[in-house]
Amino acid sequence: MNRVATWAILGLTLTFLIGPFLIIVIAGLSAGDSLAFPPQGISLKWYIKVFTVESFQASFAMSMFLAIFGTLAALLLGIPAAYGMARYRVPGAEFVRLIVSSPIIVPGIIVGLALLRYLVIPTGVSIALALFLAHTALILPYAVRVVSGSLDNLRVDMEEAALLLGCTRMGAFWRVVLPNIRGGVLAAFILGFVTSFNQVPVSLFLSGPGVRTLPIDMIAYMEINYDPSVAALSALLAVMSVGIVFAAEKFLGFSRYV
Amino acid sequence: MSDFVTLADLTLAYGPTVAVDRLNLSIAQGELIALLGPSGCGKTTTMRAIAGLLPPKSGTITIDGRDVTRLAPAKREVGLVFQSYALFPHLSVYDNVAFGLRLRREPDLDSKVRGGLATVGLADFAARLPADLSGGQQQRVALARSLVMQPKVLLLDEPLSNLDARLRLEMRMELQRVQQETGVTMIFVTHDQAEAMALADRIVLMKDGAIEQIGSPEQIYTAPETGFAADFVGFETILRQDEGGALAWRPGAVVLGSGPHNGTVRGASFAGERREYVLDTPLGVVKADTPVDVPAMKIGQTVAFDLPRDRAVRLARA
Repeated sequence: MNRVATWAILGLTLTFLIGPFLIIVIAGLSAGDSLAFPPQGISLKWYIKVFTVESFQASFAMSMFLAIFGTLAALLLGIPAAYGMARYRVPGAEFVRLIVSSPIIVPGIIVGLALLRYLVIPTGVSIALALFLAHTALILPYAVRVVSGSLDNLRVDMEEAALLLGCTRMGAFWRVVLPNIRGGVLAAFILGFVTSFNQVPVSLFLSGPGVRTLPIDMIAYMEINYDPSVAALSALLAVMSVGIVFAAEKFLGFSRYV
Repeated sequence: MSDFVTLADLTLAYGPTVAVDRLNLSIAQGELIALLGPSGCGKTTTMRAIAGLLPPKSGTITIDGRDVTRLAPAKREVGLVFQSYALFPHLSVYDNVAFGLRLRREPDLDSKVRGGLATVGLADFAARLPADLSGGQQQRVALARSLVMQPKVLLLDEPLSNLDARLRLEMRMELQRVQQETGVTMIFVTHDQAEAMALADRIVLMKDGAIEQIGSPEQIYTAPETGFAADFVGFETILRQDEGGALAWRPGAVVLGSGPHNGTVRGASFAGERREYVLDTPLGVVKADTPVDVPAMKIGQTVAFDLPRDRAVRLARA
């Protein structure tokens, strides 16, 4: 009985985790003209078509740009912030933590609307810049939290030892602190990348002619063409995500630190 | 020569809390000094100030004739072996020891690192990561990492407290050997009086952020000057005197079974070689012991005792 229950739970878990992914992969393989499961016939034509849709190319580039540089910008701000709060008695550190976390507490719809109404419209900054700022702000909470977690496990006396051996404070940070929190930094990068890449509610408000992120572009495409190419694209994106995590683990030893 | 390291009117504070109050201390070159005292006495704080990790509120610190009070830790030529060892976990044993020499662009790097590792008996461990070493080995790496920098002063924070009894003896001999070979001035912090007695040339006994007594282990052991010092080295019966000051006796100095005073046995315990007693007396609490061949006394029993003057030490204050 116990065995049966174990297998049932395992089966259900796998079904819910992997099932949707399999359905998407298979739906994209359809030979028919509309998104359906089970597919009508098998062909690779939608997987090929994805690469020929021009707006997908532009929005994919935009999403990649935001995910990579938004995450890097968030880490550039977040690592010093986390370090400062971990090592120094910062007045109002709790308040800063709260402010930094606000983008994940406030619903995305509100953040997006607010940025559109009070940043883009009055100042006239480009949509692309607004998107970059918005994504950086959205990733920042993850960067600060994850890096803070790593820093909490790092003993202060290691830095003091570096100081006594001839390091400046900055030198101790580069030579001793950063190498020992690289697992956390990498985890924050992957989390930030995925968060940015899958972001919908904020990006929804920040799109203009020729400037939109891939998820928004996919929604727009589906409203007009209800064909299996969106399923094919989703499957490709999922594979890309797995590939990134795998590569990170392979080349940077991600799993050693988590 | 006797003022290789000087602390003058050193006051140290954490925010508004004063941890060390106007401390004065001179240390000779090549001396092995123990800062001894219970937790909270300011010994670690003093050591951190010498290392430059805690800026003093007031006072000065000089090392080898140079005022280092406002210098960064790196500029003081001081080494510190942390209680936790504080090795860099991402670097090999070799790279840990080479860390400071590389920053200094030492031309003779490899032979110095190899030499340092050989000094602490870890020549074959160069390629290992700290996590793969035992606690005792990690501590020796930390010691080598400090020694290869040829510091003028080597500070050690509770160097024996994380080791088991066997390693403790080994490390004690190791420290004495290193001190003989290098002649480096060593200051180590400990709460363990036996450790301080065994290792130090001179003990600085601290209490509540001030020096209680400075002296050789023999001086502190046989001639404590205050009640705190006396109690710390085993003078457990301390009686205030009318003319000022106090007298103190070790348990073995108290004569039980005869004498002008009477007391009631309140506690009795068997301690192998001796039987230990706590007496309630009109003079105060008296702690005494007897050889095991003297018949045991019972709790509640009234016993005559004497506190011979010639076996007491005279204290300036209780």
